[in-house]
Amino acid sequence: MKPGVRRFDVAVIGGGSAGLAAAVTAAREGARTILIERHGYLGGMGTASLVHSFCGLYLLREEPGAVIANPGFAEEIADRMTAATGIGPLRFGRVDVLPQHPVEFVTIADDLVAAEPLLETHLHGEVAGVSRDEDGWKIRLAGMAGDLTVSARTLVDASGDAMVAVWLGERFSMASAGHLQRPAYVFGVRCPTSINGEFPLRTSGLLVEGMRAGAVSEEALGLSFRASGRPGEMFGTLDLTGGESVENFDPLDSACLGTLETRGRKVAAEAIRWLAMRDEAWRGCYISHWPVRAGIRESRRWIGEYVLTGADILAGTRFDDEIALATWPMEFRETAKGPRLKFPEGNRPTGIPLRSLKPAGIEHLFVAGRCLSADHDAQASIRVMGTCFATGEAAGRAAARDSGSSGNSDRIDSARQ
Amino acid sequence: MESSKNLSPNPTELIDWLNAEGLLDLDWDFPEDGDLFAAGLDSMAVMQLVVAVEDEYGVELGPDDLTRENLATPITLAALITARTS
Repeated sequence: MKPGVRRFDVAVIGGGSAGLAAAVTAAREGARTILIERHGYLGGMGTASLVHSFCGLYLLREEPGAVIANPGFAEEIADRMTAATGIGPLRFGRVDVLPQHPVEFVTIADDLVAAEPLLETHLHGEVAGVSRDEDGWKIRLAGMAGDLTVSARTLVDASGDAMVAVWLGERFSMASAGHLQRPAYVFGVRCPTSINGEFPLRTSGLLVEGMRAGAVSEEALGLSFRASGRPGEMFGTLDLTGGESVENFDPLDSACLGTLETRGRKVAAEAIRWLAMRDEAWRGCYISHWPVRAGIRESRRWIGEYVLTGADILAGTRFDDEIALATWPMEFRETAKGPRLKFPEGNRPTGIPLRSLKPAGIEHLFVAGRCLSADHDAQASIRVMGTCFATGEAAGRAAARDSGSSGNSDRIDSARQ
Repeated sequence: MESSKNLSPNPTELIDWLNAEGLLDLDWDFPEDGDLFAAGLDSMAVMQLVVAVEDEYGVELGPDDLTRENLATPITLAALITARTS
């Protein structure tokens, strides 16, 4: 892109699951759209952080069989992923999960954005600031070739960290360090043996042995493994405690995050070295892949026209202006000791109202993904990628209409300022 | 510390203890032959279980003890701990 101000109808900040859905949808609705992503590929947590499950795609049910909760973009991604991996949804207790492969997700995202003539994808774009004047939004990008400014009539914050709130000096919510969901450090492992049967349980025993022997850190208590779906490959997932002092955990502090990630690599490397030395099934295994960044579950949350609450999720509240269903139980990871799940009464889905995607008092701005307007408890449900696809799609549609560029003329007229 | 080790548990005590340790979140009427894996026992919880069993009962469970059969229910888990205690 050449320097200068280029104009778009819709700008989407962040190319993770929500931003991808928002940008593709806005372009499909007829909006000239720019999608700004800081990494060299799209997918966010599902690619750069190697989070290898799509949660929240399906309704909660006791009966067997996975039923899509949000038809549309979420279902489209699920279909494409299953076509790529050959793997369908898996049932764990009451929840259905679609295993996803980060490498396939990158390719699927490439294909999706390439198919939209109205969509421009700006990779390696670090947003340096956002402001608003009478012409609309100005988004300042810091790139390797120097600064660049683009403008847009409508903005979607899919940054995951409510970055737009910071740039605008607006209020946001954030849980205290001790309550924030812990991050996950996911890495690829090559292993001649496939994971099945007693392998994961036996591995747990081996790791505790390693801790007793002083060869493996106790932080490996937050470590688990799952087959990637490809022969000879699995993923290790280490829930990070949040550092020496949990009270100092700050996922938005580069130094804190970098220290945590470095520590994650050390813990993982020790564990794999011990396992490969100690056990026949693990012989010849090695770490093949580090993530670009830790998987952040929670940071800032926008304060919107409605704040979705944990009570809404528990009760399965429905709304007249709902745009998607939240179906994942509230999954608390406030410690590095594995998930604590809180299910809604009767496995009911919860409506996510459009008002939760509209930051209070700010025109022409929508939010999607894990930083939409929800309290800490509700965020533990809506943060998952399956739900992010759906809130992203809704934000993209709403943004296209708001920008006056939507192909639906009835709604364009009412959305025009 | 050694003197504070508890004797081997019965299945009902084990259910209370699993809840108290925060290892699982079992209903008050969780049956003694209820499926612990279905109740959320995963490989990560198993590691914490092994550490907690060592603290509470002074028993070191090893990789070969950690089979699906041994960990299936409060009854089988209590039997495993009891077998390693004696």
